[in-house]
Amino acid sequence: MAQPLAEVLTRLRVGNQTFIINFYQQQREHFTHWAGLNHQVEPAQAHELLRAVLLEFYDQVADGRLTKLPDDLRAHLYSMAYERIAAEKNTAGLPVVEASRRQRLLELFGHLGSDCQKILMYFYFRGYNFEKVAGKMGFANATVARLQKSGCVRTLYELVSRGPGLTAPDEEAIDL
Amino acid sequence: MSSPVDLRPYLEVLERFADGQMAPDEQEQFEERLLEDDALRHAHAAYEQLTADLRWVAGHETLRLRLISLDRRLNQRQDAIVRMQHQQRHTQNRWVAIVVGVLVLAMALWIFTRRPSPISATTWEQYYQPDPGLSPTETRADRRPLLTESMNQYREGHYAAALRSLRRIPSNNLGQDTLLYYTGIFLLRDGDAAGARTFLRRVSQQPDVPLARKALYHLGMAHWQANQLSEAGTVMAQVAADADNPYQQAARRVLQAGILQNK
Repeated sequence: MAQPLAEVLTRLRVGNQTFIINFYQQQREHFTHWAGLNHQVEPAQAHELLRAVLLEFYDQVADGRLTKLPDDLRAHLYSMAYERIAAEKNTAGLPVVEASRRQRLLELFGHLGSDCQKILMYFYFRGYNFEKVAGKMGFANATVARLQKSGCVRTLYELVSRGPGLTAPDEEAIDL
Repeated sequence: MSSPVDLRPYLEVLERFADGQMAPDEQEQFEERLLEDDALRHAHAAYEQLTADLRWVAGHETLRLRLISLDRRLNQRQDAIVRMQHQQRHTQNRWVAIVVGVLVLAMALWIFTRRPSPISATTWEQYYQPDPGLSPTETRADRRPLLTESMNQYREGHYAAALRSLRRIPSNNLGQDTLLYYTGIFLLRDGDAAGARTFLRRVSQQPDVPLARKALYHLGMAHWQANQLSEAGTVMAQVAADADNPYQQAARRVLQAGILQNK
């Protein structure tokens, strides 16, 4: 929390997630206490809730939806958590809002096998080159890593092109 | 989400272009085709959108997995701390139990092994009314200097020295009863109860001797000192019943205290 807020925003936008990780590490117990005391949320649920809030916050920053960090970031995140708790209490049984394009891609991403997910995360988020991906994944060389990555993108695109409401066959993870 | 453009026929070439896998000539030709071929241009735009979305998804998933992993680590650390605290408490309790056990054992040992006599010895001295000894007038100091010296030593608490002085007095210079009586008194004060009883009993058993009554009281106290409590009780009862005995009140105090009867 010692970093200036503007710098935090910049770092998050270029994919440096350290701020979020540190926040979770430092505030988990405080948040758990707060959620338990004010909203009767069990510790394990509180941990999950804080992770969901931090993910949402990170998405907002990465999307450019959040262009200025609130002065009291903790209060902001806690109010996001409160909204989630209240929404869960009030909107149970309501029809699910249609997922956005990215949310759908996120859902389909979850249907890929774990190796594919790792390769795509290494390449598209961490920015590793094929050689490093090969090293991380235990592939023989960079060419194998490139072919594997191509296969994963193709698989994901094929899932996307099946249209909305389409899920992976038998809900099983697809791997190459 | 499905794009109107089918990327499949273009995927390989678009990836090679985007990932920098083309040779410089091939890349130049591809860029020229992009300017001229509408279908390829649309496919490229759709591919760029897909990979931008994929970058967002990859970032989101990376953070989600990192948070889950961190959560697991924090849980493990918390569990380890709780386990450690539990272990510390357990060790602490064990030590407390050991210390308490040792103390209880030591106390029990002390209770079983301690000598009962100190209490009765202390009690004996608390109740004892000592003989004042003979005054210089009574001893006729000019004629019996050794007796005077002996009495002085007795009053000063030097009982062994007083006894030695007493024994040096010639037998024709001091009555037998007086000699026996004070020998018993000095031995009693010197802590030799058994010796004192011998002398005091002989005096107390002699009829028509003024010192017999006094000797009976000191004999009772010598029994007490020797821890012969039933004998002490019997003798004290005799003294307490004798109105002519100068130690009657002292004997009654002893009996009223109930110490000899309880023993």
